[in-house]
Order: sequence, then structure tokens, then C-alpha cells
Amino acid sequence: MNYDNNSELIDLTFKSIIDALPCYIMIQDQNFKILFANQTFKNDFGEDITGKSCYAILKGSHHQCNVCPVRESFNDKGVHIVEETIHLSDIKTIEMIAFSAPLFDAVGNANACIKLLVNVGTIKDSQREFVTLGQSIALLSHDIKNILEGLKGGAYVVEEGMKDHDTQLANRGWEIVSKNISEITRITQNILYSAKKQKPAFKATKPWVIARQAGQLFSEKASSMGVQMLMELNPNVPAMKADQTGISRMLGNLIWNAMQACQKDKVKTKHVIIVRVDFYDNYHFMFEVEDNAQGMEKEIMENLFKEYFTSKGDSGNGLGLMVVDRIVNHHHGRVEVLSKKGAGSLFRAIFRQQDKNLEME
Amino acid sequence: MANRPSRIIIIDDNPDFLFTMQTFLTRNGFNVETASDGTTGFELIQKHRPDLVMLDVMMESTYSGFEVCRLVRNDPDLKNTPIIGISGMAEELGAKFDIYEDRDYFTPDAFFDKPVDKDALLRKIKDFIS
Repeated sequence: MNYDNNSELIDLTFKSIIDALPCYIMIQDQNFKILFANQTFKNDFGEDITGKSCYAILKGSHHQCNVCPVRESFNDKGVHIVEETIHLSDIKTIEMIAFSAPLFDAVGNANACIKLLVNVGTIKDSQREFVTLGQSIALLSHDIKNILEGLKGGAYVVEEGMKDHDTQLANRGWEIVSKNISEITRITQNILYSAKKQKPAFKATKPWVIARQAGQLFSEKASSMGVQMLMELNPNVPAMKADQTGISRMLGNLIWNAMQACQKDKVKTKHVIIVRVDFYDNYHFMFEVEDNAQGMEKEIMENLFKEYFTSKGDSGNGLGLMVVDRIVNHHHGRVEVLSKKGAGSLFRAIFRQQDKNLEME
Repeated sequence: MANRPSRIIIIDDNPDFLFTMQTFLTRNGFNVETASDGTTGFELIQKHRPDLVMLDVMMESTYSGFEVCRLVRNDPDLKNTPIIGISGMAEELGAKFDIYEDRDYFTPDAFFDKPVDKDALLRKIKDFIS
């Protein structure tokens, strides 16, 4: 066999392997100019990248990165590993792990570095989810402890009322027990929803019907808390393909949070919650839950969906909003929050309108 | 002269806890005042000079439980008032209160996790007040 042909065959095979690897591979010179890039890299960043700066291509920057594994590899001739966020486009970024290692010539000079980047976005998302889940569980246990206290305490008051034939005392105790049963039910349902692995079944459903049902579920409870519930439902909003249970849960959590906010508000004497279904614009419709409680500090509002924290006293907000966020994402929607300290809050879930002729099942 | 019932002030932002604990302690012979925030609670303490204070550690108010405790300890007339700290948050957040290790920033005389063991609480209160 012709040795030259074998050599060419080997080169071709190696190049095919490098091009096919599901990671970015590039070779840079000491000025961070790209000398070589594999096909996976070129598929995402274009064919015409040889000679361009690494930081220009990956970060859209005119300057070297503050933390650069390639620079470190040139400096100490060692292997370096860092986490990097690269810009795939103006709006999309990807979290990567970057490995760099020097390439030596025949006399031991490191005139180039090889850099390999692996996409760890999915792993980072899972990691973040675990961290926030851990935090949510810690705060959830606080809510559960308070509920247990309420159940035990309420049961004690009922017993004392019955012992003394004091109906008023017994009723007061029962109110506390009943309220905490509702709380534990709600938290349990949110936990079960969060733990669900199965993808929800989507069926055609009318948004105003789901909203009306959700409102009716809470109207009696709201009334007993001295909160007026109003429904502003536009029946002309077309049907959506949705997980009906999920959308109901989303609305239930938002309504419950609004009721809690009203109950906590000792300043205003009259509280109102409005549940709305209406068009958002020509292409979208929305569910809204608005209250006239005390509103939120800007800092809390901005962090509501970033970390599923609940500030002490907003019992159960964290998990409830985590579930809301998840349900909205399942339906490819988004959430807006408006709040003014002293005035109230508004949560808006926006979804794309679907086929106006969607058949109801 | 008849002994007046010992006076306890409970400070907690959970109204149900205040009601059930007030019911329990009143039925066990104590005179109980309650407050749902630290500011009002401290005012009550200053006004009534109670025999014991029960204090929720974390409250959404100008004065948290930590702050009320600090104010009481810094007041020469109040500093020896027995304080029982109450919380439902401590252990799970890795902040389990240790009465000896954590004396730098929170100085109650006893600490109970929710749900509170009422019998144990009653024994502790009687120890302090007697």
C-alpha cells in the first residue's frame, strides 16, 4: 500500500473526527487570532473566522477577556480550565467550560494554543434548579412548621371550647384548623405538581372558563377574609391548547398570593382582587390577577422569579410562584409583574393566541 | 394580698399563633398581652414590665425579634426579663439557634421550635417565673 495514500487517509480521518466532535475546537496564536476551527465551531460562527480574534468571535468584544485560559496557557505552558459565557448571537448566550493547552513546536516553543469549549448550559440549568429547590425546601419547611403549629393550636382551642361548651371559642379554633388545612393542601398540591415528570396533556380550552372556575373556587374563602373578588372575563378571547389543570393551578396560586397580601395589609380596610382575561395585543392574550394590598419593594419584585425565595411572612410564595413560572413556560408564555408600594400588585401571564377555529374537545 | 397573675407578653406576626398561645397561657393562669410586630411589642414591654416575653425571631417589622431582644437586654430596667425565643425557620436554614454559641447576637433564655410543645413550654415558663 502507498504510504502517501495512507498518510492522506489518516489526515482525512482525523479531520473528519475533529469536525464531527460536538464541541468547539480552535487553535489560536499568541495574539489570540484563530488559526484553525473545527466544523462544529464554523457551523455556529460562520466559515470566515480564520485570522479573527477569539474574543471578537466568542464575546463580540474589541478587548481581550479579563479571564483568559489561552493567555494563561501561553504564560505558564500549562493546561487551564475556566467557565465562560459566549455570545452565540445578540440575544443568545451559552455557558461553556473552556479547556486550553499549549501546542509545542519541535524545539519546545509554545507558539499556539488549542482551545476546546463544551456546552454545559443544560447542566448549569439543572444545578441552578437544584440550588433554588434546596432553598425552596428550606423555606417550605418553615411554612409547614407554621401550619403544624396552626393545626395543633387550633385543635387545642376547639377542645377547650368543647370542654367549656363555649361554641364561640370552638368555632374560632375550627377557623384556625380549617385555614391551615387549606394551606397544607395548597402546598402539597404545588409540591406534587413540581414533582410531576409526565408532560401535561394539552386540550383546547376557553381561557375565560378556566378563570371563572378558578375565581369561583376562591370566592367564598376571599369573602370570609373580607376580600372582594371581581371577575373581568372577555369571552371573545379564543380557545387555547392548554393543560387545564396547570392553568387552573397557575391562577389559583396567583389568587392565593393576592389574598395573602390583602390579609397582611393592615393599612387598607377594603381589599379587592380582580381576575381578568383579555387580549394583550393583536397576537397575544393574558390572564391577570390584581390586588390593592401594599405592593412590593422594587428589589423583591425584581427577584421574584430569579430566585424562588419567599420573604418571611409571604408564606408559600416561593413554591407557588415557582409553579406559576413553570406552567407559563410549559405553555411558551411569559409573566409580567407590576407593583407599587402602598398601591398593590398585578401579575400578568401572557400567551400567544392560537387558531381562532380551534375545536373544543 | 392576693398574688397577681404573672404577666407574659407574646410577640409574633402570626395572628393564629398569638390567639392559640394566649388561650393556652390564660387558661394556665397567666395574664397575657400580645403584639403582632416588634415595635408594638417593645412598647408593651416598656409599659407593662412583664414577667416573661415570648418572641418570634423573624418578623417583618421595623423591629425583628433579634432587635427587640437587643433592646430589652440594653435597657437597665428590662435586661433581666426572661425571654423565650420562638421560630419555625432555624434548623432547616442551617441557623439552628444555640443558646451558648449564638449569644453574641441573640440572647434569649430559652428557645423553642414551632410547632411548640406546649407542656414543655409551660414547664419552662414556670421555671423562669417561679
